[in-house]
Amino acid sequence: MEITETSEDAMVSVENLNVIFGKKQIVHDVSFNVKKGEIIGMFGISGAGKTTIIRVLTCQIEKKNWNGNVLVTGLNPSKKANYSKILSNIGYVPQLELLNLYFELNPMVNVEIFTSTYGMNKKTAKLTAEKLFGILDIPKDTWKKRVKKMSGGEKKRLSMAIGLIHSPKVLFLDEPTTGVDASKRYQILSYLKKLNQQLSTTMFIISHDLEASLICDKTAILREGRLLEFDSPQNLINSLPSNGLVARISIENLDQEIIKTIQKYPSIKKVLRVGNETIEVLMDGFEDNLPKLMKFLFENEFKVISMSRDTANFRRYFQIRIQEEEEKETKKNHIELINEGGS
Amino acid sequence: MESIKLKNLHLKKGLLRLLKQIKKEFRLLWTDKFNIFIALIVPPLVVVAIGLTSSSPGATMQPINCVVVSYDSNTFIEENNFTESELDDYNLKYVEAVNSSNLLNLVQFFNATEEIYAMETARNYLIAKKIKIIISIPVDFSELITWGYPGLIDCIIDSSDIKKIQANLNAVYDSIKIFVSQNNLTPQFEINGFEEFSIPEGYSFNYNYMMVLVLSFMIIGVGMVSTILTIVQEKPVARLLLTPVKRVEILTAKYLTYMSILVIQSFSLIISALSFGLYLVGSFFDLFLSLFILGFTGLAIGIFISTLSKTKTQANQLFLATFLVLILLSGIFIPIDAMPIYLQVFAYILPLSHGSPLITGIITKGKSVFGFDFFALLGVSITLIVLSFIIFQRRKYEV
Repeated sequence: MEITETSEDAMVSVENLNVIFGKKQIVHDVSFNVKKGEIIGMFGISGAGKTTIIRVLTCQIEKKNWNGNVLVTGLNPSKKANYSKILSNIGYVPQLELLNLYFELNPMVNVEIFTSTYGMNKKTAKLTAEKLFGILDIPKDTWKKRVKKMSGGEKKRLSMAIGLIHSPKVLFLDEPTTGVDASKRYQILSYLKKLNQQLSTTMFIISHDLEASLICDKTAILREGRLLEFDSPQNLINSLPSNGLVARISIENLDQEIIKTIQKYPSIKKVLRVGNETIEVLMDGFEDNLPKLMKFLFENEFKVISMSRDTANFRRYFQIRIQEEEEKETKKNHIELINEGGS
Repeated sequence: MESIKLKNLHLKKGLLRLLKQIKKEFRLLWTDKFNIFIALIVPPLVVVAIGLTSSSPGATMQPINCVVVSYDSNTFIEENNFTESELDDYNLKYVEAVNSSNLLNLVQFFNATEEIYAMETARNYLIAKKIKIIISIPVDFSELITWGYPGLIDCIIDSSDIKKIQANLNAVYDSIKIFVSQNNLTPQFEINGFEEFSIPEGYSFNYNYMMVLVLSFMIIGVGMVSTILTIVQEKPVARLLLTPVKRVEILTAKYLTYMSILVIQSFSLIISALSFGLYLVGSFFDLFLSLFILGFTGLAIGIFISTLSKTKTQANQLFLATFLVLILLSGIFIPIDAMPIYLQVFAYILPLSHGSPLITGIITKGKSVFGFDFFALLGVSITLIVLSFIIFQRRKYEV
């Protein structure tokens, strides 16, 4: 089925995308739509298919390897004739700066090299670069120095600026926070949000780093090439029992037996071990059932050290969702094994 | 009309992108000062160093191609009493001796009495490198031997290769030795030698001989060295391909940039060689074009290696292996004619095998650049360029 109509705001539209290399299917039936100005986070462990999907959207995978209806900025990447237009409409920030920047040249020359490929004139390129460098706090004294002399953070920001230099409608960022220390990670995320707000650029963030969800309007959770969820992080958290309220309980000498006992308690939906002696518990009817659970723990003479209540974050949601899938798969494999044994 | 306008617009955009890519290449080149040093400074420096220290080379023992042009059957008129003589008994006997010599390979025998353009044809053979020696039997050859005078033989030897002059003369002496022995003659012979394409007085034989090798090795070697990493080390190429720039534009820009460097390189090499006393019979333009085509083949090999290699190490190893094969099979260490046939075919595909003959022809014989060697080099270059474009076009780049 050919996509003929999309909403004016739709920047990316993916319907039933399958990617196959040889006999191996990498992406299974993935569908989602992205509106203008949204920040999308694509999360998943290695081999989930995040990068493959982005490669389809950025014309890096030939049509013979994929099927489905895909539109990027209203253009179909299955047609080679559209490549040039699509590539003009998108920006890409690779994980490693050395793939995006000529380290031996200065930032302004880097800007000139990339803008020339889009046919931008020098003056416009310079003005855009100055604006972006300003937003990204790239110090003026580094503009004429060789990139290799810039700090890691400056290189990262320059790389983002290069990705945005031609004012693309959609920007793809591959692991923008990977390999960056914690304080810089938040800084990068805040810069991305700032750019998104000021330039209204649609952004795709591919990441292992779940902290990136903090700035995402929608998150896609992928596992083994399948899209498990595609919604706002808050909606996903709210879909958990009791809107994602969790009880964090520390118990002395916590072991598997104790966890199993707690799991069997009525209304308990999920028990996650999050530390040596700490578990997080999700349950239905949180407000009513939490006191009852605590009473149960004391009655069973479990030595509770502390208890606090909190709301699950995206990291916790991701963990639960992936765990659920793994459990489903284990069950399925188990049934298949039994069936094979029976026959 | 609209589609023509659109095509023109695309063409204009493409050209503009190409120009910007060339600018990028120059900028990248400028950041690599070492490469510039190797490309532009080292070659003239080597020429200068050789100019100051050139030494004498050795000789070879391969059978030497020759022709015999005999005037012996012409009527000989004795100057003293104006008597005529038509003796030519020893004419063919000498040809037999030439045939028996292991040092000579008789390509053709001309009887100048019957073939009036014999010497002209023989000279053309000499220019075309078919032969190295023209042995000329004078009109009074048989008369002098019959009447008991010392025999006389004229020979014109190719002296463009200094190390082979003596070897050429030795081969002629060998044929005379055999002739004397086969015909029970008194060994009294004179050879009137005429050196053809030799270096005139005031110029250095050694320097001219060395320059042929140095210029060809230098221009092709530097061309390869400066380009083997041009693609493999440019990491942002994959990212550039996520912009509207075309692969063909990126590679064309590289070729054009390095070709312009090659123009300067060839020019500086010739100037430095001439300033140190290179004897040039041919035109400056021919020599320039010969160096350019040789260097261009080097570029084509270098860029081909760069498109083929996945890492810098691979490129360096491929370069080393290729350069060694180029040198070993260039005919400098082992004459190509002495190689097995399959190796000869391979050797003639290699550019260095055409480098020395091409440059020698221009420097010492004043030949035009447009000959077999030039077109062979052009053919090799075009093949490599086409291959490099195909490989680069098909190569998988992912960011």
